[in-house]
Amino acid sequence: MLTAYLLVGAMFFTLGLVGFVTRRNLIIMFLCTELMFQGIVVNLVGFARYPLSGGPGVEGQAFGLFLLSIAAAEAALGLALVVLMFRYRGSLDSNTWIFLRDE
Amino acid sequence: MKRSSDRASEVAADFCEPKAKRLHRVTRRVDGIFLLIMAILGGLGLFLLMPGGRRPIAIAGVFISAAATALLVYALVVKLAQDAHMVAFSIFAVIGFWGALRMITHSRPVYSALYFILVVISTTGMLFLAEAEFLAGSLLIIYAGAILVTYLFVIMLASQSGGGPASYDKKAREPFIGVLSGFVLLALIAGQTLQHGADLPTHEPMVEGAQKVAPVATTLLTTYMIGIQIVGVLLLAAMVGAVAIARRQPHPEEELAA
Repeated sequence: MLTAYLLVGAMFFTLGLVGFVTRRNLIIMFLCTELMFQGIVVNLVGFARYPLSGGPGVEGQAFGLFLLSIAAAEAALGLALVVLMFRYRGSLDSNTWIFLRDE
Repeated sequence: MKRSSDRASEVAADFCEPKAKRLHRVTRRVDGIFLLIMAILGGLGLFLLMPGGRRPIAIAGVFISAAATALLVYALVVKLAQDAHMVAFSIFAVIGFWGALRMITHSRPVYSALYFILVVISTTGMLFLAEAEFLAGSLLIIYAGAILVTYLFVIMLASQSGGGPASYDKKAREPFIGVLSGFVLLALIAGQTLQHGADLPTHEPMVEGAQKVAPVATTLLTTYMIGIQIVGVLLLAAMVGAVAIARRQPHPEEELAA
């Protein structure tokens, strides 16, 4: 059932979005980004399993592999930035960087 | 596949046009009011589980979420009990739902990372059911084995002194608006999916036998070869960038204005 995969993907994406908006810890915000990636992977694999046009639905799996490598690169860079930000402030609170807003 | 926070969308869709072709499959007592109650319970449980409340509120949140999950399991058993593939899928989905729920509401980062590993395992299970074994195996190895271990190392490096969760972990930031906006987004996505999902012209993938990894590899190495090379360069750049970023030490004269 394609709608099953799509709804589970939407559920993971929405929960990651809610967690990203709600939490103040930088690392948990990045973890919620990874949760959004999980939702996207489930969505893509749903379309790979039930392809819309005939033929082997491998594009979804290929896209998922690319997404996996992009997520790994983003996690590495994001965590390096988090470590640097922790060194500057001594805290993982995102409110300490609130002056970066443009008011 | 029904989730506990997208019932409101289906109720709205019921008001828009009669969902006879879906409701007649859900025969016994899983109707609009049931689904709306499940959605409200799920959203309320998520809101109560957000960090920042006192312990009785959190326990109430756990019970309400458990009630929503029980209604969800009842709906799944009523609707999908005839298909073994969907039973396994729904088990993985419920485990993933609970892992994600506890991940975004736990006040300690280490437990969030561990619950995220549970979410990755449930996603891997769903990928195995969708016959994407290579992607499932690489997801498990790379996510749960490499990325999450990196997260745990960074949590260990960037931890505060003194036990217990930090002050910024104990309270959620705008929990009501967050949960409400997530609700609305899920209602929109799920409403559109449930309305038009049955009209999508889906086919079975024409892959026979055990040759499920070979087409993926062939497509990756022929159609998307440029993409593979670019991703290799991207990973190299990310590695060099991460090393360069993490080596910087803050100097006193570079102190940023607070």
